[in-house]
Amino acid sequence: MNIIELFGPLQEIIFFILEIGVILGSLGVVLLSNIVYSAFFLGLVFFCISLLYFALNADFVAAAQILIYVGAVNVLIVFAVMLINKPESLKIFPVWTVGDKITLAICLTSFFLLVNIILNTSWSNITVITESKGFLESNFTQNVQRIGSLLLTQYLLPFELLSIVLLVALIGAIVIARRENLIETNKKKVLQIKKSPTTF
Amino acid sequence: MLEHILSLGAYLFCIGIFGLITSRNMVRALMCLELIFNAVNINLITFSNSFDTQQAKGEIFAIFIIAIAAAEAAIGLAIVLAIYRNKNSTRIDQFNLLKW
Repeated sequence: MNIIELFGPLQEIIFFILEIGVILGSLGVVLLSNIVYSAFFLGLVFFCISLLYFALNADFVAAAQILIYVGAVNVLIVFAVMLINKPESLKIFPVWTVGDKITLAICLTSFFLLVNIILNTSWSNITVITESKGFLESNFTQNVQRIGSLLLTQYLLPFELLSIVLLVALIGAIVIARRENLIETNKKKVLQIKKSPTTF
Repeated sequence: MLEHILSLGAYLFCIGIFGLITSRNMVRALMCLELIFNAVNINLITFSNSFDTQQAKGEIFAIFIIAIAAAEAAIGLAIVLAIYRNKNSTRIDQFNLLKW
């Protein structure tokens, strides 16, 4: 059951609103000089993309996007900004150098090249090829059930490896970000205690 | 419809690359990296919705990418905090600790 089919003629309008949100939000992430605004625009972009996943009939990924990106990654970025941020300049847009203009030209060229390739590819042929293979009779009608059964049968090894990667990354992040001043202050205290009887 | 969303993914990818190259703050570079991951995810979900409706393999790859991106964000921000504590700055062009 496609969620977007419920809306019918509103489909184009919904996609248009979501795309406007994504485009303006990503422009705000890149171009604004105040990094706090950039972090909140990043949250807007993640939220619009998750609604786009809902419209594309991928509800589990949409929920994971909201939980992980908006709930974890964006909050982590906002925390890092609040810990680090120094007020640098009061201008809204930063100064553009020559390297920025060259990069802008390269990125615009690659964007128009990609759009040209996308528009020139005949996607309908690919649809005919994939649908002529015949449908597998799937017992799982729901999206979440299908993803769960694939994760625990066909993709079991990558799934377990992914959990190990997440564990290693979390432990590594704690080890890197931990303050090492505690050990030094203990050493200083020990030194002071040792020095103090000699002075008397 | 399909071309529309693929163009959106291409736009997000290009603006992520642009921000990644031109940003001077390291946290902003990490944000642009997240934008690039999201562009890849949009493409995967779109192809999964259009061509592979019986088995949602594109969605499984998107879930893997989301998990890897979360790990990458945690590691990256930890490195940024550690470097900020040492050098008292987050500008990318001042990170020359590994230069000879």
